[in-house]
Amino acid sequence: MASKLKIKVNGLVHSVTASLDTPLLYVLHNELHLHGPRFGCGLAQCGACSVLLDGKEIRSCVTPVAAVSGKAITTLEGLPALWAKERGTSGASPVLHPIQQAWIDQQVAQCGYCQNGMMIQATDLLTATKDPTEDQIRTALNGHLCRCGTYVRITKAIRQAAAVMAKGGK
Amino acid sequence: MTGLLHERELSRKTFLKGGALVLGFTLGGGLAGRAAAAYQPPLGDYGPDVAELDTWFAVGQDGSVTLYTGVVELGTGSVTGLMQIAAEELDVPFGAMKVVTPDTLRTPDQFVSSGSRAISQHGPPIRQAAAEARQFLVNLAAGKLGVPASQLTVSDGVVSGGGKSISYGELIGGRLFNARITGTAKPKTPDKYRIVGTSVPRVDFPSIAAGTHQYIQNFRLPGMVYGRIIRPPSQGASLVKVNGFKQHVTGVVKVVRKHDWLGVVAESDWEAIVAARALDATWSDWSGLPPEGNLHAVMRTLPLYDAAANPLDLRVGAQYKNPNPNVWQNTGNADAAIAAAPKKLSVTYTTPFLAHGSIGPSAAVAVWQGDRCTVWTSTQTPYGTREAIAKFWGVPNNNVRLISAQGSGTYGQNGSDDAALDATIMARELDRPVRVQWMRWDEHTWENYKSARVYDLSGALDANGKIVAWKSESWGFTNYGRPEYHEPAHGGEPGSLFVAQLAGWTGASVEEGGGPQSAPPFPIPNVWAKHNFLGAPSQRKGALRIKSGSMRNPTGFYDTYANESFIDELAALAGIDALQFRLNHLTSPRAITALQTVAQAAKWDFRPGPNPNRGKGPILRGRGVTVQGNIAEVFEVEVSTKTGKVFVPRVTVAADHGLVVNPNALTSQIEGAVTFGLSNGLYEQVRFDRQKVTSRDWVTYPIMRYKDSPPVIDTVLINRPDQPSTGGGEPPHQPVLAGLANAIFDATGVRMRDLPFTPKKVLAALRSAGY
Repeated sequence: MASKLKIKVNGLVHSVTASLDTPLLYVLHNELHLHGPRFGCGLAQCGACSVLLDGKEIRSCVTPVAAVSGKAITTLEGLPALWAKERGTSGASPVLHPIQQAWIDQQVAQCGYCQNGMMIQATDLLTATKDPTEDQIRTALNGHLCRCGTYVRITKAIRQAAAVMAKGGK
Repeated sequence: MTGLLHERELSRKTFLKGGALVLGFTLGGGLAGRAAAAYQPPLGDYGPDVAELDTWFAVGQDGSVTLYTGVVELGTGSVTGLMQIAAEELDVPFGAMKVVTPDTLRTPDQFVSSGSRAISQHGPPIRQAAAEARQFLVNLAAGKLGVPASQLTVSDGVVSGGGKSISYGELIGGRLFNARITGTAKPKTPDKYRIVGTSVPRVDFPSIAAGTHQYIQNFRLPGMVYGRIIRPPSQGASLVKVNGFKQHVTGVVKVVRKHDWLGVVAESDWEAIVAARALDATWSDWSGLPPEGNLHAVMRTLPLYDAAANPLDLRVGAQYKNPNPNVWQNTGNADAAIAAAPKKLSVTYTTPFLAHGSIGPSAAVAVWQGDRCTVWTSTQTPYGTREAIAKFWGVPNNNVRLISAQGSGTYGQNGSDDAALDATIMARELDRPVRVQWMRWDEHTWENYKSARVYDLSGALDANGKIVAWKSESWGFTNYGRPEYHEPAHGGEPGSLFVAQLAGWTGASVEEGGGPQSAPPFPIPNVWAKHNFLGAPSQRKGALRIKSGSMRNPTGFYDTYANESFIDELAALAGIDALQFRLNHLTSPRAITALQTVAQAAKWDFRPGPNPNRGKGPILRGRGVTVQGNIAEVFEVEVSTKTGKVFVPRVTVAADHGLVVNPNALTSQIEGAVTFGLSNGLYEQVRFDRQKVTSRDWVTYPIMRYKDSPPVIDTVLINRPDQPSTGGGEPPHQPVLAGLANAIFDATGVRMRDLPFTPKKVLAALRSAGY
């Protein structure tokens, strides 16, 4: 049975109509047309669908939309605003989050399909651990699968992002 | 910079009222239009005329240049490379380039974006077309400026000479070339390159990083509905009856059945998923698969493929016309040479079925308008799949418009083509567009697996440690599982799609898969090599109901696994260092250079294997080398004697790919190929019971995880601008399995001959060897 719900995504409250058991992913994807989180397995095994829920990485493919009411969801598209807020600048800053910029600078992706989850998990990691060791990076992202084989570049990108963020984006 | 299409500009009305749909995918450059916006190039059965300049390029009034290519961006960066090639020849800044990727209504037919062809084979026609366009524009400028063409130069899209200048945009912006490709324009010599050979950032990365990139899995049209498929519960089951829904469902638009093909369409993704799960159907029982553990023994006994009984099936090169019996090499007298040799060895290598394992399960969007259909798909073979869809529906080729949309990495023949047909079957029943999204288990259990193989190898050494004889016999299924056609003949065949088979198609299929791809990499005086081609199975027919198709390459990496493992075994038998042993035999200067380069980069310690200082554990260390083509790779391994786990801390690659178009993109491909290959070698095997494939997800089909991946992959590119570019996706993957096996041998003294090298298997081997 479809219900009317309010969910907060990337700083904005949206009214959506969906059955309460609908996985968050499909609401983000088809109702809000957000393309960052992507369908990979529907089983919380791969991480392509990751979003931040109150700052912590979750799998939107197995999270019922009803479970996120009253909480703040951030998708990949919302990372620039998150970074702007951290720096105390305007929320509509066009600057990419240092993690996204590092992904471009290091030319991390191949097909790019899984990289949403990698960047979301990296954001979660760098929130708690400002200067992670290689081992911490490899452990933190171990729940995300990349089939193209980009792991070595992800490590480099996260180190770059950590260094940039430590200097406040300078 | 979204790579987005005009979806917002399109109302549902424009869809259903007909007329040409003008939705196409562009990468990185925003919307790209033909010079003349309304221009529709004349179409043959296989796209616009490739001899027309307007087929390839359009110049905007702002001086931008749009490349129309038949090459699909598969996530390898090839399209960025092709844009570099075009910008280089045209003498425009890279930033002036836009691109339109395959659209059978608008882009030239560039065969298939597989086989590592994107740059190596599809780059040269673009290079030539761009050189022709430049020549045409310079001649045009000569007339306008009144300066002889010989006195004109081009820089950043501006033609100058005699104190005058005019830009490409001014010369032809917004207008057509109306000119043929003459073949007379001479492309630049590589010493003049300024854009080719540089690490231009990929054009699709800004939108990928921002989360706005358009993948087929999130492509949407107005009024679109959502489809899910329900596959048979076993490889051979037939659909007896559809009984209705087991529970209350909402939003269902239609249940679609076509023979054994079943699907459901709903108003939302989730309603489609729920409905597909709730749909109750009766299927026939089937349990015709062999016991999993008997696979390789069964392969030796299966009937060989009979080409005469399937006259329409084989459309590929001469070696496949009569694939059985296929003795593909017979030089000297291998049996006699082995009998007479002082040192000899006979061993068997076995390999499993492998899944492509795309992270995003296949998806496609289709819409019909009368007897015309438009399909958006991430296929590697736009024209072949388009033709197969047209044949399936009994309509002319040009009634089906296929538009390439970027998908999750395919690594070969994943489910993209079958999903495209799925979408057309659902959409046929509706007046609305449908997006079909396979679930994880649909992809894992019904794709074109890399064929399992069996290799019997025998060889012999002379008194000097040189290989004097080589015998090879192999068994394997087809390499091709999709309807691509093969040059020069067109002919996409629906029979190659299991979806077509499920839906009642009984016609021919395009198949390939006779001989091995790789022979020993150096001349040997006595060689006998035979391949037993077991034909083209699918989930619906054939000697074994597990469908096979190319992954990463047709057979090469399994062939190289067997060959390069065996060479390593012979090196150990000879008591010669494994790398030196290869140098002693190789004759190709480029392969020798690659091997010498990797030896230096990896600080190779020349000594016979196994590692004399390996000790007793708990961690045994060693290194292995392989060379295939002009790529040499060294793997360092750590093997745990407690768990049998193999970890690869460092990989070194020396790669000669001829002319390197984009070093960073190529290096990325090499890193990916190495990681992918190690995943294949350590974890991967498609599991099955007597009814069906049981590898359904990432738990039942594990792949390499971050913590287990090599932290260091050092790559040395040997750039040879004077040599044609060779592929980046396949060749660096080819040596990996043998390199891994050879390193495990060096570390442990134990030779692993049955893939994958799981901890359980390695531990058992270590225990047998006394660890």
